[in-house]
Amino acid sequence: MTSLMKRSVAELVGTLLLVYFGCGAAVITLTTAARESGPLQALSIGSLGGLGDWLAIGLAFGIVVAAVIYGLGRVSGAHINPAVTIALFASKRFPLTDTVAYVAAQLVGALLGSVLFFLSVGMDAVTIGGLGATAPAVGITFGMAILAETIGTFVLMMVIMGVAVDENAPPGFAGLAIGLAVAGIITTLGGVTGSAINPARSFGPAIADLLLGGPNVIGALPIYFIGPILGAIIAVFFYDWIVKEN
Amino acid sequence: MKCYVCAKLGRDTDAVAICIVCGMGVCMDHAIREDTEIWEGGYPFPAKKIKHKLPRILCPECSHAMKGDK
Repeated sequence: MTSLMKRSVAELVGTLLLVYFGCGAAVITLTTAARESGPLQALSIGSLGGLGDWLAIGLAFGIVVAAVIYGLGRVSGAHINPAVTIALFASKRFPLTDTVAYVAAQLVGALLGSVLFFLSVGMDAVTIGGLGATAPAVGITFGMAILAETIGTFVLMMVIMGVAVDENAPPGFAGLAIGLAVAGIITTLGGVTGSAINPARSFGPAIADLLLGGPNVIGALPIYFIGPILGAIIAVFFYDWIVKEN
Repeated sequence: MKCYVCAKLGRDTDAVAICIVCGMGVCMDHAIREDTEIWEGGYPFPAKKIKHKLPRILCPECSHAMKGDK
């Protein structure tokens, strides 16, 4: 097995790419809408393309997830999501030391992904796009947002269990199936919570916004840690229970 | 069974192995034993190389073809 250091670097790079391209797609949606409707308009994702905006963002996330799984999956396992790593640890499938290193690498990678996107696009990415940071939509309470994130990540983790962790899973399809699941979840839940289903994906843009003078969404961060971690852990134990033969 | 390579050279040598690719009988001089690394695991776990290797026997021609121009 590759050393923990190299595997952590793989997780860092994988999460960096996820945030750069996935959150980047959200930023580009907003900057495009600003160009079309003028900067003084109140903008949100969906202003121009409705649910199509979220489908495009979901596909950007899904495709990069698939690419990272196929590219780095055999090196580190390509979790690129602290909720997935913690859920595998909770079900005794992943050691504690590796879990700590992976989660740290994923958070740092997400932050670097946001900073690199800012360096690629400029200040509009921060002031108009908020670096793709997540916050609940108007009318969505803290509890509702946690519930939505829990359900979304439950679906993601259940798919991971079914197509990858399960020894009877058909080989070769994990990246495609998980990427499509991510795209589908984001298409629906994007307009509710921003659909992080990944604490690192929310952490990177939120911290980078704070450092670069963007919107302050730190208060919403607990939603994106509690919901996804809870959903992933429930999914692991649910899957283990549902497939267990009597 | 006789060694195919030796037979083509006009020699009569008993085969001690069979090439796993083409099925040719080969003598001790022409049998090439190679070990293949075995990896297990993969997404969402890191793949790891297991200690044991998978031995296989090839004739010189197949060994050359499998390695390409390396």
